[in-house]
Amino acid sequence: MSWKAACPTGDVKQDKIKECTIDGVEIILVNVGDGFRAYPPVCPHMEQYLEGSGICANNVMTCDRHLWQWDMKTGEPLGPAEKPLLIYDTKEEDGQVMVFIDEELEYDFDDDDDD
Amino acid sequence: MSSRNHAQWNATPDLQRGEWVDSRIYSDEQIFEDELNKIWKKTWIPVCHESELKEAYSFRTMTIAREPVIVVRGKDMVVRAFLNVCPHRGNMIERRPSGNYKKGTPSGTPKTMTCMFHAWSFDMKGKCVNISRKEAGYQDRLNENQVGLRELKCEVYFGGFVWVSLNDDIGVSVAEFAKGSLDVLLPSLSEEPLEVFHYHKAIIPCNYKLWHDTNCEFYHDYLHYHNRITGFNDAYFARKNNGFDGGHINVGSFEVQYENYEGSHGREELSFPHLPPNHWYMIDMFPGVNFNLRGSALRCDLMTPLGPNSVMIEFRGLGLASDSKKDRQTRIDHHNSIWGPFGRNLHEDLLAVTGQGASMHPLAESRKILHGRHENETIHDENGMRHYYEEWGKLLDRNPSDPMQKFKPYPEFKEQVAQREAAAAVE
Repeated sequence: MSWKAACPTGDVKQDKIKECTIDGVEIILVNVGDGFRAYPPVCPHMEQYLEGSGICANNVMTCDRHLWQWDMKTGEPLGPAEKPLLIYDTKEEDGQVMVFIDEELEYDFDDDDDD
Repeated sequence: MSSRNHAQWNATPDLQRGEWVDSRIYSDEQIFEDELNKIWKKTWIPVCHESELKEAYSFRTMTIAREPVIVVRGKDMVVRAFLNVCPHRGNMIERRPSGNYKKGTPSGTPKTMTCMFHAWSFDMKGKCVNISRKEAGYQDRLNENQVGLRELKCEVYFGGFVWVSLNDDIGVSVAEFAKGSLDVLLPSLSEEPLEVFHYHKAIIPCNYKLWHDTNCEFYHDYLHYHNRITGFNDAYFARKNNGFDGGHINVGSFEVQYENYEGSHGREELSFPHLPPNHWYMIDMFPGVNFNLRGSALRCDLMTPLGPNSVMIEFRGLGLASDSKKDRQTRIDHHNSIWGPFGRNLHEDLLAVTGQGASMHPLAESRKILHGRHENETIHDENGMRHYYEEWGKLLDRNPSDPMQKFKPYPEFKEQVAQREAAAAVE
């Protein structure tokens, strides 16, 4: 895969989370002021969909389940969070947010069939 | 003597012990509590059908003897049962009757059962996967491995029914518990997967055993015009009530003449595997389960006793998962014409037991209830009920004819002796 158009830049507003599916890969997009970030759609803690549960303010995202937080620019964990957000490369082109998807980024979860 | 005064009304019937029961078995609060503790918490109870849990992460909730229970299908497609109670502060974890955890809940994360109170989460195997702010509050004194859900004995058996027991020490499988009573329908229900096509439930103001009694005797054909018109013939009356250990019974089959009922048609075009057309089998399992296969449709009544004079009955209709659209519709039509909420028989049975419930409420004076018919253990015999209450008395150590006294095994009834001797004389 390669650079793909996700949506018009105007659709990704500050302090909001925009969900997109590109060639079957679900991502979420945010606007961090001087650019955009794209992450997998779920919280790395317990798979909560961040499009419904992520709260964005001052470039910090907080999941409303167990209050894991991240620096939205770097994905680095803050507060009680134990794992970073994974990030897809993004750029702007012709008024579109472009996302580089080589392969789908996924978090490791302890599955319930591990024993 | 014609009508009777109070003393005569209360006198012991001129029948053998076991041929009547005391109505307090249907109404006494303490007896009811005894039943929950000594019967319902000890045995296998079918709680739903696996076709109601088709997808991974789907669940259903129910209660057994007032204990909240949840059954879930894991990612590995195995159905498991747990006490639906959070190990933290005892909150009931899931309040919905059914649903799916794949996408999460308003206060829970995906693929987990999450208690809404403090967001403790559990996976589909009952393992705790989240204690909120664990280190802040418990430091290293408590971890997830110590606070799993209580798993309950669970088996999928007999055409996909999900059976649960609160008794970890039950020591027998469902098949062993059934003591052979299910064998008559096992080939028909095990050939291919079944599917629930009808569900409704009703809370009925009567004791659960009154419903079970009604399922255990056919003498109440007098309540059912349909049965008389389509049934009464020599083969009908030759059907046996067969007793099995453990208080279970079943009723042998015959060929129903559906076309004798105006507006009705034979059902020979559609049946169950290995079941001859228009045949009809019935299984009544202790302490209160009914499987009823009339040719094209299987009915199952599951009971949840709520109080001495209140029972929730869940009615299910089942066909084959492989049914064509047309066959399924035929099964639904056949099921509903007799057993649906507007069917011929179901509401007639409900009318009768609610009348019994009105007469035998918890504050009513005790009455004698007769279970004394002997007809060579054929379907108008009341041996099915006697068989049930002998097991009931044994488990509760109460005499059904005088329930404040200890249990004694039933005598050999005079009529049985007479029948045996008559049969011997013929030979």
